[in-house]
Amino acid sequence: MEKLILTQKKKKMNRLIMSTFIIVIGLIILFLGISLSVSLGAKHIDLNTVFNSMLSPSDDINSKIIRDIRLPRVIAAALVGAFLAVSGAIMQGLTRNPIADPSIMGITQGATFTIAIAFAMKANIGSSDLMIFAFIGASLSGIIVFLLSSRSIKGVSPIKLVLAGTALGTLLISLATAIAMYSNLSQELSFWIAGGLVTAKWEGVKLLASVGAFGVIAAIILSPKITILSLGEEISIGLGQKTNIIRFIGIVIVILLSGGSVAVAGNISFLGLIVPQIVRSLVGPDYRFIIPCSLVLGANLLVFSDISARMINQPYETPIGALTALLGVPFFIYIVRKEVKSL
Amino acid sequence: MQTHKGKKKLILIISILFILLLSIFIISFNIGTFAIGPIDVIKTLFGQGDSKQELVLFTMRLPRIIIALLVASALAVSGTVLQGITKNDLADPGILGISSGAALAVVIYIYFMNGKAYSDVSLITIFTMPIIALLGAGFAAFLIYTLAWKKGINPTRLILMGIGINSAFSAILILFQFRFSTQDFNKIMIWTSGSIWGTNWSYVIATLPFVFIFTVLIIYKARYLDVLSLGDELSVGLGVNIEKERRTLLIYTVALAGAATAVAGTIAFLGLISPHIARKLVGPKHKLLLPTSALVSSIILLLSDTIAKNVLAPIEMPVGIVVSIIGVPYFIYLIMKE
Amino acid sequence: MNSIKTENLSISYGDSDIVKDLNLNIPKGKITTIIGSNGCGKSTILKTIARILKPKNGVIYINGNDIQSLSSKSIAKEMAVLPQSPEAPNGLTVGELVAYGRFPHQSGFGKLMAKDKEKITWALKIINMEEFKDRPIESLSGGQRQRVWIAMALAQETEILLLDEPTTYLDLAHQLEILQLLDDLNKSQRQTIVMVIHDLNNAARFADYMVGIKDGNIVCSGTPREIMTKDNLRKIFNIDAIVVDEPIDHKPVCITYNLI
Repeated sequence: MEKLILTQKKKKMNRLIMSTFIIVIGLIILFLGISLSVSLGAKHIDLNTVFNSMLSPSDDINSKIIRDIRLPRVIAAALVGAFLAVSGAIMQGLTRNPIADPSIMGITQGATFTIAIAFAMKANIGSSDLMIFAFIGASLSGIIVFLLSSRSIKGVSPIKLVLAGTALGTLLISLATAIAMYSNLSQELSFWIAGGLVTAKWEGVKLLASVGAFGVIAAIILSPKITILSLGEEISIGLGQKTNIIRFIGIVIVILLSGGSVAVAGNISFLGLIVPQIVRSLVGPDYRFIIPCSLVLGANLLVFSDISARMINQPYETPIGALTALLGVPFFIYIVRKEVKSL
Repeated sequence: MQTHKGKKKLILIISILFILLLSIFIISFNIGTFAIGPIDVIKTLFGQGDSKQELVLFTMRLPRIIIALLVASALAVSGTVLQGITKNDLADPGILGISSGAALAVVIYIYFMNGKAYSDVSLITIFTMPIIALLGAGFAAFLIYTLAWKKGINPTRLILMGIGINSAFSAILILFQFRFSTQDFNKIMIWTSGSIWGTNWSYVIATLPFVFIFTVLIIYKARYLDVLSLGDELSVGLGVNIEKERRTLLIYTVALAGAATAVAGTIAFLGLISPHIARKLVGPKHKLLLPTSALVSSIILLLSDTIAKNVLAPIEMPVGIVVSIIGVPYFIYLIMKE
Repeated sequence: MNSIKTENLSISYGDSDIVKDLNLNIPKGKITTIIGSNGCGKSTILKTIARILKPKNGVIYINGNDIQSLSSKSIAKEMAVLPQSPEAPNGLTVGELVAYGRFPHQSGFGKLMAKDKEKITWALKIINMEEFKDRPIESLSGGQRQRVWIAMALAQETEILLLDEPTTYLDLAHQLEILQLLDDLNKSQRQTIVMVIHDLNNAARFADYMVGIKDGNIVCSGTPREIMTKDNLRKIFNIDAIVVDEPIDHKPVCITYNLI
């Protein structure tokens, strides 16, 4: 018996070490990635200049580019990647569905829809108003996900949940596209809908950072409860958890994080699917580890994807949402093949 | 709870559906930039109208309506079969990515063929379009089937693979779209949102044979579909070769979905809600279910098309969006009802 | 004369072997019950004979023919299967469900011919539910529903009938109802009936021949009297059984048991 407890403690220690390792290395790579991203682009700025201008801001043209255009965009990428990844992790825990993710469940599309309406009404709408629109839109789908996943003890079968989310997502994104088509902003709006960080500005990024910080802290506090919830409905109730309340809070966090991300970067899919899966295979099923690691890994993934999106078809931009989708689908396929019996 | 519909009641239901269809048929002639009243419609159909009415009716409205009927029926039959094969009554060719495969193929084809838009679509392109769409749909189905195959087909895995492939193709579609000029881009957007853009008789001739042949083939297999709905074990016991039959039916479904997409873009959810409604009306036996599905679907599509053309006049909304607006809430309601 | 014969049958699930080198003989025209504890492989064996599962090795003969050499449809004319929890789609009537049994005999568009209708009526008569023909399945009780499934298997017009736990979810009265129905069928139609049954005493009461399975192997086979012994039941179920003859038909029953 003692040996068993010792191996368990050792396992936990291993996981803790692994998580710390991931976070530390991840942050270092993130820093490198951000710097790289800032230096690359239509006008190549070498790394030295990048570092210098970050440390001591000046007014020459390069610094201006870095400060006003490149940096906000890259920071946005990092934040959005982190927040979408955490949203995905939370959703997978809450719905006990390995392929849950804010874009599969229609949440990002909901935000995109309301934002398209906002843009169509007033092309230069302010960042905070935009974000509110995004939250409303994200809540549309979020509410449905909440209702469907908390119906009864058994809940709706995972596949039905995915189908409902997908259906809702498809509807909302086609409405958003229709609005884009008929307003005068057609191609730019459509581009943004497909997921693009081009329009990221400091105002939006700062707002996202504050909303997101709040959401992430809440998520970390909620994480042990999510772990228990992910074990099973009956088990959680048996352990005295108020499952519906936890689910509600979780969905609210997801709405905040996803909605905010969409407001800054458009509809970016599959990130919340890929990252938690990778993280889970490295650090195990405890959400206290999964959530922080997802933050770091998600940020990295999007920053590097953004670099690729800019580099692939120079000087044109490739919509990053399409890129993450193409990245994500092989993952999706792999997971479905591995785990469908349990669905 | 379903109580048994006696034969009389069934006949009543089908008759009502027919009448509904006919009414919408006539109404849709009446709405639009050149309105033709119901009596005039009937007169013109029998050769008694004036030349203006005849022109509008026969060269513009009628072929378009017939295409709508063909598309609706194809999607409905396709959806009914998919729901039977996947044993999941939430399956639909749109969700499963078969339509987006077809759409992608058509877009790529037009991109390489004409270099520009479809304003230039020639007669040759019209006739080869269904074939290209079919190839695209077939490729998508092949991918989905192969990826879902792991010592046999698990219906849930099939659906999920479909969703995955759908996302992938949609993403590639987006990447392609941005290569076109703004005008063409818009046109393609409208098309992929589902709109009946083929409005002359050549489209009818190109699509009719496909839809007809495959629908007949499927109705021939109606009793296989019935047996398959009993589950794998009973189906085997009754002598059905389940893998072979599922594959054959999938091929037919793909052909129909492909043909429909070729002419009308991606119209999702039609193939989902029509079988549902039909099942509630006439029960689960496919010999009756399939035609009823087609009827219901035609009514919905014609209705949606009329709404799409007129609610935001003179702008024409893509009919696919109207169908989605009707279809998705109903779909979610269905899921919630369980 | 054997209706069903397996030769060196091996069945595996993934990497684990459930059944190895099974040589089973099912006598023609008799009721055979297969018994064993949970997970011993009895359902797996039945499903493999029914060709629902594919064996890893070995041959299965139905009436002397290797099932690999016959088409599924032709096998369906000789052998009907009733799986454990059969499900019918909503909205069917009793008559419609029984009609499914005619599937292997139909062709083309599948219209019901006179012969088909005749068999359906006959099947309904045997299960004593002729008046229920147009009733919806949903309105029936568990026992009635099971009878309708049996009627479907009957309409299939086969010599062999395989049933996987046909009475497990039924209450006492309905269990007996079904088993007596099957017994009458066997006596009047001379059908070969093979059942996997959970309830030991019912298995013994209605069987002409019993097969005891443990860990995928036959530990004993023979008449109920031969199988229902302390020794055999210990081998099959790992229990210390007390077997006596019941007073009505003098068939062997296990009245109580202890753990070993």
